[in-house]
This record gives sequence, C-alpha cells and structure tokens, in this order.
Amino acid sequence: MLRSVTKLWGASRKFQIGVTILFVLIVFALIHPWIADLVGHGQDPMAIGAYQAWEVPNTDHWLGTDRYGRDLFVMTATGLEASLEVAAVAGLLSTVIGVVVAFVAGYKGGTIDGFLNTTTDMFLVVPSFPLLLTLSAYVRSVSLFDVSLMLAVFSWPFAARTIRAHVLSLRSRPYVELARVTNLSDFEIIFQELMPNLLPYIGVGFASAALGAIFALVGLEVIGLGPASVIDLGLMINWAITWGVLSLGAWPLFVAPIVVLSLLFMAVNLINIGLEEVYNPRLRQTAGA
Amino acid sequence: MSDNAKSIELREVSQVFRGAAFRQAGGELVAVDNASFSLTADPPHITSLVGESGSGKSTIARIILGLQRPTSGVVTYCGKDIYHLSGTEFNQFRKDVQPVFQDPYGIFNPFYRVDRIFWTAIKKFGLANSEPKGRALIEQSLRAVDLRPEDVLGRYPHQLSGGQRQRVMLARVHMLRPSFIIADEPVSMLDAAVRVLFLNVLLEFKEKYGMTTLFITHDLSTAYYVGGEAMVISQGRIVEQGTVDDVMLRPAHPYTQLLLSSVPSPDPEDRWRDRMTVTEQTAGEEIPSRERCLFAERCPKVMEGCWRERPRLVTVSDDHLANCFLYQSVGDEAGRTSDAAIRH
Amino acid sequence: MIQSAPVIDPPATGPVLLDIQDLRVYYRTILGVSRAVDGVNLNVRRGEILGIAGESGCGKSTLTTALLRLTRAPGYIDGGKILFYPNGRAPMDLLQIGETELRAVRWRHLSYIPQGSMNSLNPVMRVVDQFADVMAEHGTANASEARTLAPELLRQVGLGPHVARMFPHELSGGMKQRVIIAMAIALEPDLVIADEPTTALDVNVQRVIIQTLADLRDRMGMSLIVVTHDMAVHAELADRVAVMYAGDMVEIGGVRQIFKDPQHPYTQGLIRSIPHVGGERARLDGIGGNAPSPRNWPSGCRFHPRCPRAMSVCRETVPRLLPLVGRERAGEAPPLVGCHLYPESDGARREQ
Repeated sequence: MLRSVTKLWGASRKFQIGVTILFVLIVFALIHPWIADLVGHGQDPMAIGAYQAWEVPNTDHWLGTDRYGRDLFVMTATGLEASLEVAAVAGLLSTVIGVVVAFVAGYKGGTIDGFLNTTTDMFLVVPSFPLLLTLSAYVRSVSLFDVSLMLAVFSWPFAARTIRAHVLSLRSRPYVELARVTNLSDFEIIFQELMPNLLPYIGVGFASAALGAIFALVGLEVIGLGPASVIDLGLMINWAITWGVLSLGAWPLFVAPIVVLSLLFMAVNLINIGLEEVYNPRLRQTAGA
Repeated sequence: MSDNAKSIELREVSQVFRGAAFRQAGGELVAVDNASFSLTADPPHITSLVGESGSGKSTIARIILGLQRPTSGVVTYCGKDIYHLSGTEFNQFRKDVQPVFQDPYGIFNPFYRVDRIFWTAIKKFGLANSEPKGRALIEQSLRAVDLRPEDVLGRYPHQLSGGQRQRVMLARVHMLRPSFIIADEPVSMLDAAVRVLFLNVLLEFKEKYGMTTLFITHDLSTAYYVGGEAMVISQGRIVEQGTVDDVMLRPAHPYTQLLLSSVPSPDPEDRWRDRMTVTEQTAGEEIPSRERCLFAERCPKVMEGCWRERPRLVTVSDDHLANCFLYQSVGDEAGRTSDAAIRH
Repeated sequence: MIQSAPVIDPPATGPVLLDIQDLRVYYRTILGVSRAVDGVNLNVRRGEILGIAGESGCGKSTLTTALLRLTRAPGYIDGGKILFYPNGRAPMDLLQIGETELRAVRWRHLSYIPQGSMNSLNPVMRVVDQFADVMAEHGTANASEARTLAPELLRQVGLGPHVARMFPHELSGGMKQRVIIAMAIALEPDLVIADEPTTALDVNVQRVIIQTLADLRDRMGMSLIVVTHDMAVHAELADRVAVMYAGDMVEIGGVRQIFKDPQHPYTQGLIRSIPHVGGERARLDGIGGNAPSPRNWPSGCRFHPRCPRAMSVCRETVPRLLPLVGRERAGEAPPLVGCHLYPESDGARREQ
C-alpha cells in the first residue's frame, strides 16, 4: 500500500501539487485553536465585539475584521475546519454505502444487481438540491452532523455507479476466474482480489463525494438555509452578500472563503487527475518501452 | 465405462447468450450448440479443441470449469452433474480440474506478489499444514517446470517475463496434481521458442503425473505437436473428432480441410501454389437459420440438402467422426451415427 | 475456394532501395537508457520482400517506427543513417530531411501498416471517404479523383467495389486489414512496411493477407518489409530474412538458406522451435533462458547467456555482422552472420 502511494508521489507532478495544497489547507484548519490563541492573546478573537469592526487588513489582523469586530483570519480557519468536517463525514458515509452497494451489485450481477441498480437510479433521479432546501426550511435547528447525513444520502449513488462500473470491468479478469476455480468464496474475492485494485477509484469517489458535500452546503448557506449555529465558509459568503461588503470595501470576508474553496477544489481535482494519469495507462504521456 | 471411472462428460451442452448486444443476430448468440464429448483420466491423454476465434471453444472451457452455467445440457464429473455435487464433492471437483489461461499478464492480481497464488491454493485445498512444508511444496513445483525459486518467489508479476509467468501457472497446476487440465490458448501469447518449452511440460505432465489435458487452440500446428485426440469446432458445433493424425492428416470435414490448407508451412520450398478466395461474411445480411449446416456458404462440396437439415456426427472410419452430409445421406434415419464420446 | 493460378517467381533482386546504416534508437526511462535498436545495418532491394524476424522485445517495432521518423518521446534517435532511393527523387537520408519533404515522402514513396492498424480505421467514415482523406493529404489527387480510384485499389487487394461505401464496423477483420493495405498502396509507394500484418487474424484470413502482400511484389513490383515473429509467414512470403535479437541483426540471408541451413545458434534455435502439421513428433528444443533487457544488454555477444555453443570470447567481444563465405547457395550472395563460431578474416567470416 505504502509502496503504491510513494510510487504515485514520484510519478505525477499534479498529484504532488494537489496533495501539498490539500495538506496545507487541512493543517491550517486543524490548527485553528492555536491560531485563535496567537491572535487573541488569551481572548476569543471571534467573540462579538472583540475588536474594532470593519478593520482593513493590517499587521494585527491579517484579513481585517467583520461587522461585529471578529478577526477574519481566525474565522477563515475555523470556517474551513467546519467545512472539512462536513466533507469528511458526508464523504465517508456516502463512500461506504456506495462501495458496499457497488461491490455487491457489480460482483453478484443478476437480479441483485438489477434491484440495487433500480434503487440507485431512484436516488439519482430525485432532485437532491430542492429536497435539501425543503428539508432545511422545515427543520429549524440542524446540526452539522445532521446536514452531513442528509448530504450523504444524496451523494452515495454517484460513488456507487462509478465503482460498480469498475467492478464489472474487473470481474471477468483472469485472476478473478482463477480465484473462483481455487474455491474462494464471493466474499473473499470481493475483498481480497477486487478491493485492493479498486482503492484508487474508491479514493477518487471519496474525494468527489466530499467535495460535492462542501459545495452543496455552501449552496444552501448562500441562500440562508444552513445550520446557523456553526460558522463555515458558506456562511461567511452569505454574510458577505447580506452585508454588502464589496461596496463597503471590506473584501476579505468575501474573497477569503472563495479563495480557500477554490484552492480546495483545485487540490482535489489535481489529485484526481494525478491518480487517473497513474492508474489509467491510456492517459499516460510516456510511450511504453 | 462405469460411472466411477474418473471422467468429465459434456452431454448436449448448449450456451445461448441473449441480450441487446446481439440484436443484429436476432437477439441471441449461440456460442455452444449441442456439444457432447468426454475426457477420461485413465489412460491420461491430451485432447485438442481446435477452432477460430468466436467458435465457442473458450466458452466450453469456462463451462467445464464451472464458471459458466450452460443454458441446456449437463456437465458431469465422475458421473454426477457438477451443479448437483455436495460441498466436499465440489471441493474435490475443483481441486481435480484446474485451468491454464491464455493471458500471462492477466492471471496474476497485480496487487500481490506471485507467491500468493500458491499459498491460496495450499490453504483452500489443504495441501500442507505448516509453512515450511508449504514452502517445500512450492519450490518443488517450481523446479519441476524448470524455474528457480529464487528467480520467482517474492517478485511482483510485472517483474517476470511472459514465459516465466506461464510457467508459474504450470507450477501451480503441478502442485495441485489435478486429473484434468483445461488449457485455454495457453501459448498464444508466448514467443515461439518459449511456446515449445511450455508444450513439452504439458506432455511431461501427461507422462509423469497422468494428467489429462484439454488443449484449446486456434493454432493447428501446436495441436499437431501435442498429439493425442483432436476436435474441430466451428460456430459452436463440433464438426470433426478423432485422433490428431486422422483429423489433421486425413481431414474429413470440408471446414477442417479449409483450415489445414490455410496454415502457412515453415518450408520456403513448399509455398502455396494456388490462390484462395474467401467469401467474406459481412454484417447486415439476413439472419441465417441454424437448422442446417453452418458451413454451407463456404463449402466447396455443398449439396442441396446441406441447407435444409442440421447434420449429425457420423462415423467416417474407426473413431473418426465428422458432422457432414458427405458421409451420411440427408434424411437417412438409418444412417450410421455414433455416440460422440472419445474412447480409447 | 481455391483456384489454380500460375505462380510468378520473385524477380531477381534489384538495386538498393533503402540502406540503413548504424541506426541507434534509444529510450530514456527512469531506470536508465534503453538501447532498443543498437547499431543496425540493413538494406532492402527493389522488388523484394525483406522479412524481419525476431521475438517480442528484440526491437523490431522500434526499428520500423524509426524508419518513418515516427519515434515518439521518450524514444529518440541516437544516430545512424537511413538512405532512401525512391523513384523520381534525389536520394535522401530520411533522418536528415525536413518536415515538409518527409511528409511528401511518406505515403507517396514509403508507406506503413502498423500493428493492429485495422482497428484504427475511423469508425464514422465510409471507406471511400477515408481513402479520399489519405490521398488528399499526401498526394496530388483531390477528393473526387480519390473516389474514382478507390474501387480499383480495393479490387487490387481482392475486395469488391461495394466495400467502398461501407463503414468499418460492417467489415470483418480480414477485410479491414485489406482496406488498410489498399490505403497504404494508394499512391503506389516504392516501399511498404508492414508490422505484424497477420497477427490476430483467423487462419484462413491470414492466408488471404499473405497472398495479398505477395501480390504487391509479384504483380505491382513493390518492395516490402514484413515484420513478424511468425516464421511460417516469412517462409511463405520473404525473399530474404533478417533475424533480429537484442537490438541488432544476428543473421541476414536468403529465405531458403535461413530455413534450411541457419548459421547463427539463435536462428538455429528459432527454426528448431517451429511445430508444423505433418512434421516429426520428436520433442522440439526451443531456446532456454529469458530474453535480455534493453537497459542491460549482456556483454559481448548478447546471445551468449542462452547459447548452447558459447565460448569465452563470446562474453567479451561483440561479433560483427559479416558475410560468411564458403557456405553460400548457388547464385545467392553469402549470408551475413554475427557469430564467433565463424572467425573473422579480411572483413569476412569463414568456418573453422
């Protein structure tokens, strides 16, 4: 396993860049309590009225402050952490469900495949965003976890479909047939033969689901229908629009979350492309020797 | 032949694939059409199944191995239908009937080292109860196929050559000591020099360990080389059976004759003196019925009756059978037909 | 259906058409330089079919792509000359000429049928349109002229004129391969290079393709290079055979000499590995060991680790490819052999 990751690192420049950016962002998000300490010197820099409102970026506050005098640099880090949390939970949940469904459907085939396919299709066809909007409107106090759950329910079909396609392509490989004549059970074949070769695709599936969750949440919050109790990047954008910061000249509240989201998006996509380049021989630029 | 004699028998096995992909052919593809033959373990022998691509030979291999359930007909092992075997009997069947596949690249899971195929077999079939014993078994089998354990063990598949990989497959077969080997185009992807070495090992397995091989190939020369029995298959039907000498040196069915005349001879002083034209099958033609001889379009000896009735396997001479009206009057119920089992 | 027709014996070998001198094609890989083609000297004469025989990994495909300067990174041409003497043009070194001149030469004077090319027909264009494309791109014919020429070209490869209006998916593998051959000869080139033209085709279709290629030489006076590992194809088609091993030629000779009286131990091993229907059932020997890696060719003679007759000099010195005098068949030039079993003297080799 480690061998393949190190091989990946060396093989693709895009993968390297993507992983580095992602790593930096994750670290940035995780150390937000320490950033808060550093900036606040003991006080909570995100408390309302902590500082002067609408400060422009300066040496004390690298991104300035918002309408309530909260430090924006700390807020960005905190917001990023919340967004990443949603991404991780929703991504993990949807990937697990998607993988189980995909493996069982792809490998068993027949009626089970048909049934699972129909179920997947039902979920795909339901327009998830309007449904989320409706749910959000009715359920007033939603926690971050609840939101992650809802998002997972709608994103697992995407993972399931791609992974099932790959399972189908691997199912008739000679080494799977060899496993069958060596009397391996279906379970053993799925986990021992197929799973290790599908890990990169599962990884890609997870990344896509995670990213999708973040953006779904941002979408909800920009409209104002997200959990208002937790500050995350989407909420920041919502405030930026509501308070009309651009006309006030207080651009950091708008720009910072967008820049961070763009970096996140770019990082995950670079990783995906890097993985594709390494694992999909047809995309490789080097000629076979 | 008593039911207890070890044998694999196919009785009127057919495999029909249905689906949208076959819309052009009328919604179904008959991959195997009423095939019947048997393989006996005693005395051990090699039977070649010769056919072009798409003839159904690989499907037959998968049916015998229990990887594909035929749409009709029965496959038996020691007289019992393989889909009605008890747990232990099925285990025994699996151990006793082992494959060698065509693609030396695809038979290994790229994620693991090559050792794994040995250990999985050891565990699943209880070949050794301790690691040193297992290791000894593996090394012995590798040496039996002329591979040095240190060259092979601990390596990943991409670190070995195609010839080495195929020989590792043979070593695995050697370790399992099956009574039957189902070899599906085992040498097609190997270079000529390595090919011959591989075939020699198959012959050795027959002589030393009494293994019977079903050798599936499109290459008539290799089928001739391994000797034994031969069956020619075309469009899912077995058109000729007999000893290799009978089928290849005295071919009875016009299709076999056509195949043989198309094999280039490796003798520059024996070049083809005449020209051949091939009636090409193009798609989009009217779907032909299967209740006739399927070779009629290309047959130089076609008769009127060939288009109207399905031919049956008929004796040409001792143990040499052909699926052709030339050797049987059309519509002649008293024509000499014989049970299509290969016997010694 | 088999018809009898007179066989036209191959014409006497003519002047040199293609002269490859010391060609070296290497690849840059992460683990070092891979010397796939390492100093090949070879020529092709007008009116002949030269077969290049060798197993996978010997470099023959790298050689053919280099002849048309189709080598792509990480491959590169390290040196050598490819002198070409086409009809109606001044002689040239294919490795030195500019891009425009190369484009004018490709297809018009030198065409190429890559391995598996029958699968590279454009699936959404009719056959006649693909002809029009090729001819307009490389020749002087415009699209409508091409459309009138296509049926005639198809006839020359044994296909009916109705094939021109068909799409590739309607054709069988053998028909597609013949369409490719027809396109390759559309502008009547001096030299056609075919890489594994019969692999992956069914046996009776192979025979038609071999026949078609022979017709190019016998009826149209073209010269061909046929690259394949299948020795029987060389036996049926070639006039001379060049046997390639580990990036270089080890023996070049007339087809009868190669098959009946091979001199190099590798050629002998190859000839002895061919089973054929009706042959003896004695166990064939094959060639033991493994093909060497182009990143790490063995020292001296590259075949020495697998050679049943290796001597100590074989480990140290690379044997040069030189004419072997005293063994030639009547009326033929002596074969070129690179083996220490036949010691060098005066620029030639002799038997001990």
